[in-house]
Amino acid sequence: MKKLRIKSIYVLLTIFVFSLLLNGCTSNNDTSKNKEIKIAEQYGLAYAPLQIMKDKKILEKNLPEGEVIWKQMGNTAAIREGMIANQVDVGFMAIPPFLIGWDKGMDWKIASGVSSMPIGLVTYKSEIKTIKDLTSKDRIALPQPGSIQHIMLSMASEKTFNDSRKFDNQLVTMAHPDGMNALLAKKDITAHFTSPPYIFKELEHEGFHKVLSGKEAMGKDFTFIIGVTTKAFHDKNSEGYKAFVESLKEAISFINKHPDKAADILAKEYDLPKKEVLKYITADGTVYSQEVNGLEDFADFMKRNDYITKSFKNKKEVLWEDVTDDK
Amino acid sequence: MTNKFMDNKFILRFFWIVILGIIWQVIALSEVFNLTSFPRIETLLASLIKDILNGDIIIQTLYSLRLILKGLMFGLIISIILSGVSMISKVFEGFVDTIIAIAHPLPGISLLPLVILWMGIGERAIIFIIVHSVVWPLTLNLLAGFRAIPNIYKQIGKNYGLNSLKIIQYILVPASLPYFITGLKIGWARAWRAVISAEMVFGAAGNAGGLGWFIFKKRVFMDTSGLFGGLIVIILIGIMIEDLFFEKFEKMTIKKWGMSI
Repeated sequence: MKKLRIKSIYVLLTIFVFSLLLNGCTSNNDTSKNKEIKIAEQYGLAYAPLQIMKDKKILEKNLPEGEVIWKQMGNTAAIREGMIANQVDVGFMAIPPFLIGWDKGMDWKIASGVSSMPIGLVTYKSEIKTIKDLTSKDRIALPQPGSIQHIMLSMASEKTFNDSRKFDNQLVTMAHPDGMNALLAKKDITAHFTSPPYIFKELEHEGFHKVLSGKEAMGKDFTFIIGVTTKAFHDKNSEGYKAFVESLKEAISFINKHPDKAADILAKEYDLPKKEVLKYITADGTVYSQEVNGLEDFADFMKRNDYITKSFKNKKEVLWEDVTDDK
Repeated sequence: MTNKFMDNKFILRFFWIVILGIIWQVIALSEVFNLTSFPRIETLLASLIKDILNGDIIIQTLYSLRLILKGLMFGLIISIILSGVSMISKVFEGFVDTIIAIAHPLPGISLLPLVILWMGIGERAIIFIIVHSVVWPLTLNLLAGFRAIPNIYKQIGKNYGLNSLKIIQYILVPASLPYFITGLKIGWARAWRAVISAEMVFGAAGNAGGLGWFIFKKRVFMDTSGLFGGLIVIILIGIMIEDLFFEKFEKMTIKKWGMSI
């Protein structure tokens, strides 16, 4: 009698576990339910148009039947992995991480530019004037290898030392806020390659100065953040795709036309004083635009230094239709 | 007899590895998953061999192993002291119990932000994390080992006229050795985990960085097969230590003494 009961419990348990497993299979696969848009964003002023879009519900307005799902992600690698796993339709990142994914066979293209930012390398050591003054003991914090900050540092070291990998083993991977705290502590990190608002905050401190700007490293202006979508999303949900690009356009022109109102919204979002936000979004070098700049320069540099194995012959290989870029 | 057993074990292990490899390959070839996230075995091996040939993976593995050995040594010394002290004095026993209760549940990685504040991001910080993950399980095991020794063993020793030092040397240490070895095994596994996760957060701590940094770099450059290469190295080292080092050590000691089968 007792044995029988134990047996039946086992049977029930097995059925239970298997039904859970099967359930998992089905629910995992309904990735692109026709009108759903899953958008992954990161944190920072460069993503301001997304905050505007979210706050003013612009995408919801342009895509009435659609369902918009926002996902906050910590870093670019996670967004990329999410897009491979079909959990993210639209992601935002800099051009180098996009090119790395494209090189590794990811089926995705650039849908739009988002912003250009005055990024740069900051230090507190007065003896460090240019990157020539960095010694092998100096540790440089940046978000991660392969990030735009890393590629810009490599560009500058290629120009200065003819060796793009000179600092590769002195890097410390840190998210922007951690990197800023580490730099301000003046302990192990002697330099930090970062972007607004962190770079502005660091430079406010006495003795902190910029060693290298992104523009100097690149030799020209470039787009910092781009919007990328998977081919699956672009092809299967073309309505959603168009609505997204259109909404981004509206959000960007809202910031450019009404910086004051935009600052109101963003101040809430970032928990910063409005005056500060307004100063940041109208700062020199901060541009919100859908144009994609510097794509070829990044690709050439990364190909030349083996960060990627192939480059594109025609920009149509990496840009969706109707994306404007510097010719 | 023993030799045959050894051979058997290796053949068995090899057999199962081959079977698992075949299953892997079938899944990869079926392309249920994206090839960038589930690469074929030949791609994995090719990228591992490439990383071995250009020396990257070897230098970084040795670096990690050096950190682990250092951490394990410190951890071992601290554990022996802690458990020894708590065997001698009831007051200290309470202290050690309390500190284990406080510190043991804390994963090393959750201490990272604090460790960065206290000691920066150098090698010392990683070793601190390793020591933290090794010391508590090792101390617990040593204490369990000491406590499990029947009092009668000590009394027999006294009957033979051994002094305290001799009792420790000939009775307490050998009798608690099975616990000690188990503790060491757990400590070793914990140390591996600690070093890999700490390196993935810190980046290159030394000049080249360790295996965790290697894996992290592979991730951000989306080199999935290279990433698996790093994992394979971790597995191989784990098997080697388990099958060669610990097995030998057990055979030389507790198995020879008939304390374990």
